[in-house]
Amino acid sequence: MQRARCLRGILYFAPLAFLGVFYVYPLLSIFDVSLRPAGLLDLSSFVRLLSSDYYIGTLLFTIYQAALSTAVTLLLATPCAFALARYQFRGKTMLLSLATLPFVLPTVVVALAFATLLGANGLLNDALRTLFTLDYEPIQLERTLAMIIIAHVFYNFAVALRIITGYWSAVGFSVEEAARCLGADELALWREIRLPLLRPALLSAGVLVFIFSFTSFGVILILGGIRFATLEVQIYYQAVSMFNLPLAAALSLVQILSMLAMMIIYTSTQKRLQLAIASAKSVAKRARTLRERLGLGICAALISILLFAPLVALALRSVVVAGQLDFANYASLAEKSRGSLLFIAPLDAVFNSLRFALIAMTIALCLGLIASYMIEGRGPLSRIWDPLFMLPLATSAVTLGFGFIIALDEPPLNLRASWLIIPISHTLVALPFVIRSVLPSLRTIPRSLREAAQTLGATPVDSLLTIDLPLLGRGIAVGATFAFTVSMGEFGASLFVAQRESVTIPVVIYRLLGDPGMASYRQALAMSVVLMLVCACAFVVIERLRIAGVGEF
Amino acid sequence: MLQVVNVSHAYGDIASLRHVSLEVEPGEIDCLLGPSGCGKTTLLRIIAGLETEYDGIVRINGEDIRATPAHKRGFGLMFQDFALFPHLSVAGNIAYGLKRRGLGRGEIRESVQSLLRRVGLNNLDERDVASLSGGQKQRVALARSLAPNPRLLMLDEPLGSLDAQLRDQLALELRRIIKDAGLSAIYVTHDHREAYAVADRIAVMDIGGVRQLDKPFQLYRQPASAYVARFLGLTNVYSAGDSRLERLLDQLGKGNLLNAAWILIHPAGISFGAGAAKDALELTATLEDAVFRGEHYQLTAVTGSELRLSFTARDLPSKIGDAIRVSVSPDAILPLPD
Repeated sequence: MQRARCLRGILYFAPLAFLGVFYVYPLLSIFDVSLRPAGLLDLSSFVRLLSSDYYIGTLLFTIYQAALSTAVTLLLATPCAFALARYQFRGKTMLLSLATLPFVLPTVVVALAFATLLGANGLLNDALRTLFTLDYEPIQLERTLAMIIIAHVFYNFAVALRIITGYWSAVGFSVEEAARCLGADELALWREIRLPLLRPALLSAGVLVFIFSFTSFGVILILGGIRFATLEVQIYYQAVSMFNLPLAAALSLVQILSMLAMMIIYTSTQKRLQLAIASAKSVAKRARTLRERLGLGICAALISILLFAPLVALALRSVVVAGQLDFANYASLAEKSRGSLLFIAPLDAVFNSLRFALIAMTIALCLGLIASYMIEGRGPLSRIWDPLFMLPLATSAVTLGFGFIIALDEPPLNLRASWLIIPISHTLVALPFVIRSVLPSLRTIPRSLREAAQTLGATPVDSLLTIDLPLLGRGIAVGATFAFTVSMGEFGASLFVAQRESVTIPVVIYRLLGDPGMASYRQALAMSVVLMLVCACAFVVIERLRIAGVGEF
Repeated sequence: MLQVVNVSHAYGDIASLRHVSLEVEPGEIDCLLGPSGCGKTTLLRIIAGLETEYDGIVRINGEDIRATPAHKRGFGLMFQDFALFPHLSVAGNIAYGLKRRGLGRGEIRESVQSLLRRVGLNNLDERDVASLSGGQKQRVALARSLAPNPRLLMLDEPLGSLDAQLRDQLALELRRIIKDAGLSAIYVTHDHREAYAVADRIAVMDIGGVRQLDKPFQLYRQPASAYVARFLGLTNVYSAGDSRLERLLDQLGKGNLLNAAWILIHPAGISFGAGAAKDALELTATLEDAVFRGEHYQLTAVTGSELRLSFTARDLPSKIGDAIRVSVSPDAILPLPD
C-alpha cells in the first residue's frame, strides 16, 4: 500500500514537472522580461505599447480580423449545420468527417494552398485569363484582408459545423414543428425559434473560432505580411527582426491575458452546451421537395469546394511546370537550391520532422496517459488537473516559442542550441490533444472491471497491463496520431526554436517562400504537398479509430 | 469459516452498514436478503477487500484479513453488472484468474473447457462477450469467478438484470453448480423468492444490521419481527393493541398474546371455506380483492370486525363483493417483537 502510493507520487510528478519547467517557467520569464527588463520594475514597454497608435492599431486589427472571421464562419456554417442536422442523405457521415480535415492541416500548407488558388498567379486567375483572354488578373486578393479571412473560414468552418450540427441534432426539431403548427413562417422560424434555441452552440462555436483566429500566425504571416500584423505576428517581428525583447514580452503578456479571458468565457459556454444536450434523441429525415434537395446540394457543394479547391490547387501547382506534368519539383528536394539561406536540403527537413514528431509523440503519450489518470482519479486535487493540463492549448504557439528562447538559453537549462528543444515544444502543444483523446476511453472503463480483475488475483500492475491498456488502445492510438500530426505541422513555436540544421518542414517551407527565385518557390510547393499527404494519412487514421460520437474538443 | 464481527461502514457522512455480524459455515450458501440501499453490496465489497475503510473485524478461518489486499484473498466475486472484460473472449474471461495463478497453457485450456461444460456453455469459448445474451453473460461471469477455485464465492444480485422467467430457472441451476463445487457462498438479493430457492440460510438485513438468520422454511414460518414479516411479503401484520383483533384472539384461545408488540396472522394458516384443522375458527368475510397468479389466487377478505386478511386459494367460486367463509387455524397466530 505504502509502496504503491509512493510510486504513484513519483509518476504524478513527471507531467507536473514537465509543465513546470517547460510551460510555467518560460511564461514567468516572459512576465519577468516584460515587467523587469533590467532587473527593476519598469513599465516603460507597456507605456510605449499603450501610447503608440501603432500597437493599439495592432491589437484592434487582431480583434477586428478575428471578429470578421468568426462572423463569416458562423454565417456559412449555420445553414450547412441545419442541412446536416435536419436531413439524412448518403455520404453525410463522410462529408461531416471530411470537413474536419483542415483541423489537422498545418497552417503553412493552408496558406500556401490559398496562395496557389487565389493569388495573382494562382490557378483561378490563370484559368479565367485563359478562358476570357484577359490581360489583367480578375481576382486581386493577394495580400488583402479578404484572403486572410477566407483562409480562416477554411480552418474554422469544420469546428463551427461540428459544434452546431451536434447541438442541433440533439435539440431536435419538435419545437420547430410546434411553432409551424402555430403559424410561424420560415423567417419567423429562424428569428424566433432556431437562432434563440441555438444560442449556446453559436456562442460556444463563436468563441472557439474567435480564439483560433485571434492566435492565427502562419496564415497571416504568409498571406498578409507585416501590413496585416496581428499581435502574434508582431511578437515575432519584435523578437526576431527587431530584437526588442521587452516589447515582444509586453505584447506576449497582452496575448496571454486576452487568451485567458477568452478561455474563461469558452469554458462557461461549454457548460451550458452540455446541459442542453443531456436529454435528446437525434431526428433526421430525407430531403423530399425540390427546394430541400437544392438546398442540400448547395451546402454539400459549398463544403466540398471550400475544402478541396485550395488543396487541389496546391497539388496541381506542385506537379505542373510550364503546362507539363513534371515531378522535377520533388526531385529537387534532395538538394539545396542555389542562393537559399537554408543550411540543409529540404529533404533533410523531412527526416528532422519525422524524428522530432516521433520523439514528441512518445513523450506526449507517456505524460498524457499519466495526466489522464490524474484527471480521472478521485483525489482532492483531480479537479485542478484538467484545466491545468489544458493550459498549453490556451497559450499561443508564438508565445510558447518566445518563452522558450528567453527562458531556456542559459544554465541551468541551456537548450537553445540543442535540437531537443523542438520536440519538447511540440510535446507541450500536443499534450492536451493526447489527454483529450485518451480521457473518453478511460471514462468508459467501469470500475468494476478493475475490481473483478483484482478479485481474480490481479495485482494493480497486472490490472493496468491486462485491463486498462488493451481497453485504452483506440484512445491511445488516436492520441498518438494527433500528437504526431501536431508536431509535424507545428509552425509558430518551431520558427523560434528550430535553428540551422534542425529545421522542420513548416519552417523550411516558410524560409523557401522568403528565398528569391522560382526554384525555391517550387520546392516550397512540393514540400507542402508532402506535408499535406502526411497529415491527410494521419487524419484517415484518426477518423477510423475515433469512437463514434466521442470527441472531447 | 468466514466471520464478520460488528462491521460498520460509511460513505462520507452517510452510514451504509451499522454493526453487522455474520458467520458463514463451510459448504453453505448464505443469502443476504434486504431492500436496496441496506448495505448488502457494501458488505460483499468489504469481505472481498475492495473497501478497506471500515470498523470491525472480518476473519477467515480465525485469521483477521484486514491487511490482505483483494488480489491475495482468493475469494470469488460475481458482479451485479457481471463486469466481463470486453476485450477478451469468453475463454479469455474465464482463463483470466487462472493465468494470474501462473497455471500452464494446457491446464488452463482444460480447466476452461470443463467450466464451460459445468455452466452449460459448450462451444462458446471463442465468442466475443458483447455478443452474448443476458443469461449467457451471467454464466460466463459465474464460470470466471469459479475458475480459480475460490475459498469463498460471493454473488451480488447475480440474476438481478435478467427477466423473471430466466430467473427462476437459473436460480436453481446456480445452487446446483455451487453445491457441486462444494463452495461456501454468500448470495446477495432483494427478492425473497430467489433467496428461498438458492439459500441454505437467509440473513434478512436492513441498515441496522442482520435482523434474522434462519433456514428458508423457518424464516417463512417464524419471522422474528414485523420488519422481516413485511419484507417477506406477509402482510397480515397488526399492532397487538388493535381492537379489531380482540375477538378473533379470544375465540382462538390466544387472548394472552395481546401484550406482544405485533401479531402476524400467517397466510399459511388461513384457508378458503372450511379449514382442514379441527380447531380452526370459521369466520364470515367479504371478498374485497382477488388477483390471479397462475398457480393460485391471491385473495383479500375483510371480516365483520374489519380485519383485512390476505391469503391464497386454488379456486375462486365467489365473486368480488360476495360473503365468503374463511377459516383461521390457531397456528396462524404469531406474536412478533418490534
